[in-house]
Amino acid sequence: MGSSKIIRTIAQKLFPFIMLFGFYLISHGHLSPGGGFQGGVVIGTAIILLALSYGIEKTEKKFENKRLSMLEKLGILTFIFLGFLGIYLGHSFLGNFLPLGKPGQIASGGLMLLFNIAIGIEVAAGVSIIFYALVRYRGEI
Amino acid sequence: MFKEMKKAFFIIIILAMAILFILSIDIEYGNPKNLDVANYYIEQGLYDTGAINLVASIYLGYRAYDTLIETIVLFVAVAGVVFCLRGKR
Repeated sequence: MGSSKIIRTIAQKLFPFIMLFGFYLISHGHLSPGGGFQGGVVIGTAIILLALSYGIEKTEKKFENKRLSMLEKLGILTFIFLGFLGIYLGHSFLGNFLPLGKPGQIASGGLMLLFNIAIGIEVAAGVSIIFYALVRYRGEI
Repeated sequence: MFKEMKKAFFIIIILAMAILFILSIDIEYGNPKNLDVANYYIEQGLYDTGAINLVASIYLGYRAYDTLIETIVLFVAVAGVVFCLRGKR
């Protein structure tokens, strides 16, 4: 199963760059347009590209469904845990208790980077799980 | 008895909605006089949250529970897709 050699080669070369762009969008969510949701969807798209070009079996060997669903739960639980930690240590839900730092740097904004990473992991895993489910139970590529 | 109470409750809710609607008729949305909250976000957002991106500071700072539910929406969507498709091989 899979596509022609041209598509496979281009997908293989393109995959790390799409992944990198997704991580960039997530980690710069509080500095530039983007954020956890958008970056997560970009990473999910990279996995979908691999599945479309190489076939679902080969992709599932690298990105296992079980591990992805574990990552999704981990992301949302991290988000909820950090949010309620904000009530305990800060002043409100999603309240900030880390130092704010210098505006414009990556390490600014306190908890915002961690929230973005948690949302990004959750969305990336969720998008690819939906794709896996549609492929596996509703036909094949 | 129960039916009449239900009817009275319904009428009270309709009346409350009508009163709210009438009270909010003379508020002009988008009027510069009524932009207190927006101006507060623009002026104080950077100092409150430390993020340059104003959208992120509203989305992950001021808007607390809304963001949590927005994240749960995708989680529930994934669970629903897997649940509905699982038995149909």
